Amino acid sequence: MPDSLSGSTGISLALMTAPAISAHNLGHAYGDVVALHHLDVEVPTGRIGLVGANGAGKTTLIKILLGILHPTTGGVQVLGNDPAEDVVAVRNRIGYMPEGFCLPAAQSAADFVSYAAELAGIPPQESRQRASDILTMVGLHEERFRYLGDFSTGMKQRAMLAQAIVHDPEIVFLDEPTAGLDPAGREEMLELISRLGGFGINVLVSSHVLPDIERTCDWVVMLDGGQVLRNGPLSGLTETNIVELEVIDNVDLLTAELTRLGATVETHGNVIVLNTVDADPFVLARDALATTGAPLRRMGARSTTLEDIFLGEAPDG
Amino acid sequence: MAEPTGAVFDLGYKPYEGERLGRSGAIRAMVKDGVRRVMGLRRKARRKVYPWTLVVFAVVPAAVFVGLAFIWGSFAPDADSPFGGIAEYLGWSGAMVMLFVALAAPELLIPDREEGVLAVYSSRPLTAGDYIAARIGALFSVVASFMLLPNLLMYVGLAALDSRGLGAALLGDVDDLARVLATMLAYIVGYGAPALLIATYLKRTGPAAGTYLAVMFGSAAFAEAFQRIDFVGARFGTMLSLLQHPEIIRNWVFDQPQEAAPTAAGFEPWASAIAIAVMGVATIYLMHRRYRREL
Repeated sequence: MPDSLSGSTGISLALMTAPAISAHNLGHAYGDVVALHHLDVEVPTGRIGLVGANGAGKTTLIKILLGILHPTTGGVQVLGNDPAEDVVAVRNRIGYMPEGFCLPAAQSAADFVSYAAELAGIPPQESRQRASDILTMVGLHEERFRYLGDFSTGMKQRAMLAQAIVHDPEIVFLDEPTAGLDPAGREEMLELISRLGGFGINVLVSSHVLPDIERTCDWVVMLDGGQVLRNGPLSGLTETNIVELEVIDNVDLLTAELTRLGATVETHGNVIVLNTVDADPFVLARDALATTGAPLRRMGARSTTLEDIFLGEAPDG
Repeated sequence: MAEPTGAVFDLGYKPYEGERLGRSGAIRAMVKDGVRRVMGLRRKARRKVYPWTLVVFAVVPAAVFVGLAFIWGSFAPDADSPFGGIAEYLGWSGAMVMLFVALAAPELLIPDREEGVLAVYSSRPLTAGDYIAARIGALFSVVASFMLLPNLLMYVGLAALDSRGLGAALLGDVDDLARVLATMLAYIVGYGAPALLIATYLKRTGPAAGTYLAVMFGSAAFAEAFQRIDFVGARFGTMLSLLQHPEIIRNWVFDQPQEAAPTAAGFEPWASAIAIAVMGVATIYLMHRRYRREL
């Protein structure tokens, strides 16, 4: 995996494996309204988060990946196939859980999920068996013969996830998978999504709920106004070189020593926030504390969140 | 505390490594789903009532005809009999078909759009053309069975009672079967295409069924009115009669007298055949235009 990469549009990644998705100069407009603006992005296989505010272009990008919409500029590839050129080749390898519901009220969960498997070319008998297995996996074994119209929101979301993975796709697109769920339902859904990577299914999760992405993904693409705001591994995006420590006294002495060692220091009462460019901030803090003998109360790394980055509040953002 | 007597294993997720039937398998699955949907199979009981009532109305009279011929040897379902002949029976079947497609076409298309199921199709190896072909295929299969089953029942049943013997009667009356097939096609396309087209654009099944019946009967009323209006070109208005074109084909094929507005206005029956064909092609074109935006 490459190091953290950040920046706006025009990012070029040296990926170690073939990318799951790559877009070059990708643009799409609905009449005069530009939804995607010259996207250049490559993302690896794994669990990918696609984040952005409503209207950022997430759903438009997913529809282009599915081959429903066509780019007005540039192109895109999913697992090496161009959906604008050969939509069936792409659709043979993907699953999709759309935003909003996609379930026929008049069918039972078992019938519909089995039908979803048959639509991917799996023979009828195997489809019924897989539908039963997947519904059990998502926690709907007892309810599998109930009509989908009688399901609660949480059950519907799980049935939607079941139809998206029943045919064993190579990559599944999940569009706002936790929308409308209560806290318990949200936890269950995030747990299920986290498990998908272990099944060998690559995941693209689109959400405007940033903590959901932090919980489930290891790579993030951040969109804003149809442009790429950030693109890189999640750990690289949220890690900072900032350490916060609190001492009982000798604040001025410790501050002077840290500054002498090359750190940028801010003090708030007895709390010192130090930032370094090249050196390890923990090593600097250890050395300064040893030299000054300042009594330490607590010390820890300050990490940033996707929300901080997105709102431009992160120290490096 | 009792000793455990068993163990629960979480088998987890299993990748699928078996056979895949590809695009053709997906289309077959869609046709099967469409047939089940319009007949209410694997659905709640109330969804079965309407289609199966119409099936009974379409098929039972044919069984009655064969029974009457068995009991009353001189009975034959021809134009002189009190029940009419094959042409009249096709007219009856055609009326049942119109009532059937009024609800079946919306039931096939509208829930997929309104319940978001098209999103599932967009992640399977299918195109908009495949979706349309499968939905039309499902409707055609059911409606063809609807019309063919009672006519085959009469054809074979009456041949079995024929004094010439079964084989000779089947061969001797085979041209009747060909005429039934030609007429059946006219009814299916003539009545099915407008129902599909309306269901392609409306959002609810009930209003779509009502709109279809209003359009069919309204078009016949307009055509009758155009026949009576005396101005240049008014006769072309009679060709709007969606209800009457299949009946014109039926009368043409079975050498029955023509009474419908288009023929009364001077159009030959082949003009109705062209009108039906144009309607079929236009429906497929407009459906494709509508669905390629979502699939």
